[in-house]
Amino acid sequence: MFDASPLSRRGFMSHASMGIAGIALADLFRREGLLANSALPQGLHHPPRARRVIQLFMAGAASAVDLFDHKPLLTKKHGEPWDPGEQVELFQSTPGACLKSPWTFRPYGESGKELSDVVAPLGTVVDDIAFIHNVVGKTGVHSQGTLLQTTGFNMPGFPSCGSWISYGLGSETENLPAFVVLPDHRGLASNGAKNWSSAFLPAEHQGTVIRPGQAEPIADLRPPASSFITADSDHDGLDLLSRLNRRYAEERSGDDRLSARIRSYELAAAMQLSATEALDLAQEPRYIHDLYGLAPEGPGVDDTTINEKAETEFFGRKCLVARRLLERGVRFVQIWSGNDNGFPRRNWDSHEDVHRDHGPLAAGMARGTGALIADLKQRGLLDDTLILWTTEFGRMPCSQGSQGRDHNPFVFTNWLCGGGVRGGVYGESDEWGFKPLDRDHPTQVYDIHATVLHQLGIDHTKLTLRHNGIDRRLTDVHGHVLHDLLL
Amino acid sequence: MLSSDVYRTAGSTSVIVSLPNRARVSLLAAAICALFGSTAIADDDLFRDRVAPLLERRCLSCHNARDAKGDLSLTTAAGLMEAGYVVAGDPAGSHLLDVVTPVDGRASMPKDGDPLTADEIDLLRQWIAKGAAWPADKRLELPSVSSRDWWSLKPLPSQLSTIPEDTHPVDHFLNAELARRGLTALPAADAITRLRRLTYDLTGLPPTLTEIDTFVAADKADPARAWEELVDRLLASPTFGEKWGQHWLDVARYAETHGYDKDKLRPNAWPYRDYVIRSLNDDKPYNRFVQEQVAGDALFPGDPDGVLGLGFLAAGPWDFIGHVEVGEQKLDGRLAKHLDRDEMVSAVFNVFLSTTVQCAQCHHHKFDPIRMEDYYRLHAVLAAVDRADRVYAGLSGEQEQRRLELVEAIRLLEIEEGKLKKQQQDRIAAKTGPLDRRLDELMRQHAAPLRPEYGYHSAISPTQDVAKWVQLDLGKARPIQEVRLHPCFDHFNNIGAGFGFPVRYRIEGSNDPQFAQNVVLLNDASSSDQPNPGTEAQSFAVTAPPLRYLRITATRLAPRQNDYIFALAEIEAIGGEDGGNVASGNAITSLDSIEAHPRWSRKNLTDGIYHQELSDAAAMAEYRSLSRQRAAVVAELQSPELEQQLQSLGQRLTAARAEFSQLPAGKLIYAATTSFQRSGNFVATDGRSREIHLLNRGDLKSPGDVMFPGTPPLWETAAASTTQKSLSDLEARATLACYLTDHDNPLVWRSIVNRVWSWTFGHGLVETPNDFGRMGQTPSHPELLDHLAVRLRDDPRQSLKSLIRLLVTSEAYQRSAAHHAYNAAIDANNTYRWRADRRRLSAEEFRDSLLAISGRLRLEDRSGPSFQDFVIEKPEHSPHYEYGLFDPANPSAHRRTIYRFVVRSQPQPFLTTLDCADPSISVPRRDESTTALQALAQWNNRLVEVMVREFSNQVREEGDPIGTAWRLATGRAPSDDDRRALVDYSARHGLENACRVILNLNEFVYID
Repeated sequence: MFDASPLSRRGFMSHASMGIAGIALADLFRREGLLANSALPQGLHHPPRARRVIQLFMAGAASAVDLFDHKPLLTKKHGEPWDPGEQVELFQSTPGACLKSPWTFRPYGESGKELSDVVAPLGTVVDDIAFIHNVVGKTGVHSQGTLLQTTGFNMPGFPSCGSWISYGLGSETENLPAFVVLPDHRGLASNGAKNWSSAFLPAEHQGTVIRPGQAEPIADLRPPASSFITADSDHDGLDLLSRLNRRYAEERSGDDRLSARIRSYELAAAMQLSATEALDLAQEPRYIHDLYGLAPEGPGVDDTTINEKAETEFFGRKCLVARRLLERGVRFVQIWSGNDNGFPRRNWDSHEDVHRDHGPLAAGMARGTGALIADLKQRGLLDDTLILWTTEFGRMPCSQGSQGRDHNPFVFTNWLCGGGVRGGVYGESDEWGFKPLDRDHPTQVYDIHATVLHQLGIDHTKLTLRHNGIDRRLTDVHGHVLHDLLL
Repeated sequence: MLSSDVYRTAGSTSVIVSLPNRARVSLLAAAICALFGSTAIADDDLFRDRVAPLLERRCLSCHNARDAKGDLSLTTAAGLMEAGYVVAGDPAGSHLLDVVTPVDGRASMPKDGDPLTADEIDLLRQWIAKGAAWPADKRLELPSVSSRDWWSLKPLPSQLSTIPEDTHPVDHFLNAELARRGLTALPAADAITRLRRLTYDLTGLPPTLTEIDTFVAADKADPARAWEELVDRLLASPTFGEKWGQHWLDVARYAETHGYDKDKLRPNAWPYRDYVIRSLNDDKPYNRFVQEQVAGDALFPGDPDGVLGLGFLAAGPWDFIGHVEVGEQKLDGRLAKHLDRDEMVSAVFNVFLSTTVQCAQCHHHKFDPIRMEDYYRLHAVLAAVDRADRVYAGLSGEQEQRRLELVEAIRLLEIEEGKLKKQQQDRIAAKTGPLDRRLDELMRQHAAPLRPEYGYHSAISPTQDVAKWVQLDLGKARPIQEVRLHPCFDHFNNIGAGFGFPVRYRIEGSNDPQFAQNVVLLNDASSSDQPNPGTEAQSFAVTAPPLRYLRITATRLAPRQNDYIFALAEIEAIGGEDGGNVASGNAITSLDSIEAHPRWSRKNLTDGIYHQELSDAAAMAEYRSLSRQRAAVVAELQSPELEQQLQSLGQRLTAARAEFSQLPAGKLIYAATTSFQRSGNFVATDGRSREIHLLNRGDLKSPGDVMFPGTPPLWETAAASTTQKSLSDLEARATLACYLTDHDNPLVWRSIVNRVWSWTFGHGLVETPNDFGRMGQTPSHPELLDHLAVRLRDDPRQSLKSLIRLLVTSEAYQRSAAHHAYNAAIDANNTYRWRADRRRLSAEEFRDSLLAISGRLRLEDRSGPSFQDFVIEKPEHSPHYEYGLFDPANPSAHRRTIYRFVVRSQPQPFLTTLDCADPSISVPRRDESTTALQALAQWNNRLVEVMVREFSNQVREEGDPIGTAWRLATGRAPSDDDRRALVDYSARHGLENACRVILNLNEFVYID
């Protein structure tokens, strides 16, 4: 039933014999072993092309036809009634007229791939990006669409992609969590923390939220303001605690949890140092700040009205922090652009006005992402860092109101970059950007996830954990590795 | 059309089919088939043994008689024939092989799956080459399991197995197994260890110092009796239900927000939590407990618990957007509803029967005897219910009905009113189009900013014909030539210009501030209704002796929003030598006033600020002139008939609202229900079940047969229970509830005794408490499990407390948790219970203990609405649950953790780090992870810091603060070395810091 590779053996142990606590502990010690000999991680299904992943998530549903997927027909037919030749059922509205993008598209790079002016900063790295313009979703409901992209299922209760990867590969460092989430500081997207939940995987694989630029970037990282806690009391206290706990453990041999908990305080202390250091952007030179478009006034930049400068600061800062975290051994970073569906709008759900919201958000995203790709490349990290750009679905080629677009779960764009991926266009949408050009062969999130795992050295059909009678996996019972876009 | 030929030979059909353009091939194939006909009988075996299983496994789920994708069904030979994919004897001409043969690693079929292997394709080729024999009696079937030959599905013994006298049943079975495996049971743990273990296991709290002393003394006198009395005391404590209620809420996936997008609050979810706690404390018979949670309203009408229990079905997540905004008119809405029902069906079977019915959504269950039909019959059982607030007490059935009727009536009246108003507006717009365009243009070009100082605003009056006045004091009597009144501008209720300007009014002057004598009437507009002037100043020439006081009295107020007011932006009095405004800056009095600075204030009347929509005077003049023209057009279009209709609607609305407000609200619970207040597109079924179809491959776009309510044949006598007729909602759920608690149901009793065992001993006799199917684990002690199951089943009181009492009075429960190398070598995981399992405090136990030993736990503050340890920001759309903004010293949150408000999208970070359950899924057993983030939380969290301070104050006055603190946290005194180290540390850094260390001890966090 299980093959002999460690990945599935772990799945077996966790439900059969050792129990969940045993697994967490096993991981703790395995990591120590792993750090000691820095050879390839044992037990992968095949040699990996990537060691770490960044998932860029555009919450609210970013419009492919306004960013990456040029549709000249929309310009030609702008304002004319839209007739795709079949019945269309939209989330909020009835289909309006054809709506051209508010931005012009131009060719970039050697490939001549066309990008919208609003994402022009990606032009310099466009040849490294593998665009998949024929991704299809299941529904036009934000929460379901978001969960589908983050967990592979359109209902809550399933582990995030980052949790599966943390579970499968463990961490490259003990001093930082394996799976880090950088949410939009203005609020969480649909489903909140469910998007980085470990669900039925051991809890240590849930995403750890880091809020760069905030007073307390990681919960409880430092002692709170207190009338009695001092640096000395803290230091001596941990020292004493360790001695007392050790004595207790000595009287109770044969229980590794006790020593693991002693060790967890040492790791916590190490994490205080590493996390603080990793998040200290003052260590980065001026030109790097400029590359990522950070604002001189920092995270406090004014965004009373949505604007490009602020969006660039917010997204760029997260990208730069992500790079520093990855350099320090974090396995999976999830970056969010856009919050919940409150008003005024600070996400990609442009029902009313594509130009108003997509403009600043896309410009900020493109600047930060372009910088991230270029920066990873110049450090030699792009080769084994996989970037996945995604969103819950796309937006319609027709208008909602006069300047907005309704949801389009029928086709949208994902792209991959780095980590053994070859640039180009794989999978096209139809002339409207309404459905896949080849409706019988769309790309699904399972294929994307299978490809991500594949690049990490994992066979997506073999990374499983039995839960309520089913050997669960990230890709459910689906998924094909997108071999065409691999180097 | 396709052409086809069939060649028959003894009991076998060879298939010869071809597309029209292959007509020649077809003839040729027929000839070939005739040649191969004689070998077809032998080839039947090839088909039965190898080809059919392959087709069933890889092709049939999309290509069957019910769901023939691409018009191809492989259920029978005829289906294959009609489609023309196979030419018997001619593999090269058979399209089937084209579609399954991969090119560059990809084949067009199977569409969503790996290509067939080379061997499999070869097999098909061979079969076709040999004539594609297909025995006529052979129908392909989707793989399914019918066998009930599995431990959990076998009937329970009809009566209790006999146990030797004087032997504890639990130890009887356990000891036999220990002996068989050469394991030696450890002796009982010491008194304090056993006390601490039992107190936490049954109440989730630490024993107090008095409880420790009392028990140690009693144990010394008579250990057996002391233990029995302790067990009885703890089982009788109200804290028992609070601890065990948490276990149940974990499996019931209970939370108080919807989850998904927006994650709105469920303010009426908590009565289910209280119901669970109370049911456990009252030791409600287990079958009744189950029945109430599925069909309490049907089986126990009139009993509030019959409704409260239904909080179970509704406890899981709910897609607000999918139901309320999208709705079942659209595919996305139906999908949301389908997922919603699946969630309920899964919960019922996972929780009560430890059965994973949800695996039969897209295909028959691959391992357990559950067919797709069984699964969709359960959808039919729950086809009428939704999750919403419903009344459980405080309102009679008729009142509740009337209440819902009124809500609906009000909604319809409001729609009607809106329609009429819209009609009127459309008629007006048709006539005023050009005027409106010019007005818009002027506004676009010259719009003036609206300053925050709007003016004066009277108190709000429910009636219109009430006099309200404002009065200007000029300081001394002055000659006045003119009085100007400037109306207000406020967007409120879309009123805008002329906001609050009286319909009738008069202007008077006097030198008596009381206006009791010598009153001069300056202008009288009180005898007829005046048109609203917009923002245009109303100017009145005055010929009168010098006056000190001017008074404007509104005698008929301006309508606002179902009420009436008087508002004014500015009063000007033109006079004096230079003809200037002598009112400027002077004092104002009034009958009443809403003083809401800066917007509304008396002093705004003489501040020189009044709004003109346009900044350009000429444009404003044109604007006003056009506005007047427009008003004239509007007046002309007034239809007395329409006015009357509106008035009549208004009266009916007022009456309905009045009756509604007279009805008691009733006590509400968020539960499964078929009638509730409509919200957007979320509409109650009123008990009419939705039509449920079997969904091929679980796809809403591929509906199959209509399904009627029924239950899976999981045991012999249940097999005949499926119906082929519709049942009412109540009948259907009552039938399900009775099925679940059927005496012969082998799963329900095994399931609950295993859970009780797991919640008592730390891990279950079956390690997969939510899955007793073939993918789950098998029991470590099947006879013991069955003994306990039969005992509960046959207990007339179906008492869980009695079961728990039985478990904790065993020797096995009371054993030491120590290590034993010899035993560990045989059974490291303690599957056979040679010792007790050391366990960590759960998230709730840690927090409750923190509060308890710090003396801050408000233990008596039981039940009722949940405490919120967060601040809600932006509640109107997507609430943000900000835990960081809540003050941990705030005593409102110092209740037991089970009473906290559980949020799905933003779970409590501290408790989540400590492995608290994820309320989106049924959690039969908590994780016990050990991470650096936990260390940070327990060492640095703000709540810990606050409680550490309280804890130290609690022990500071004791003769031995360190020793007392240690005992409070761990139940026992510290060793001399430990005490000395802590006393030392305390001397250097203070008692608070010593208490911080104690609250991070392994000895506190683990229970031996």
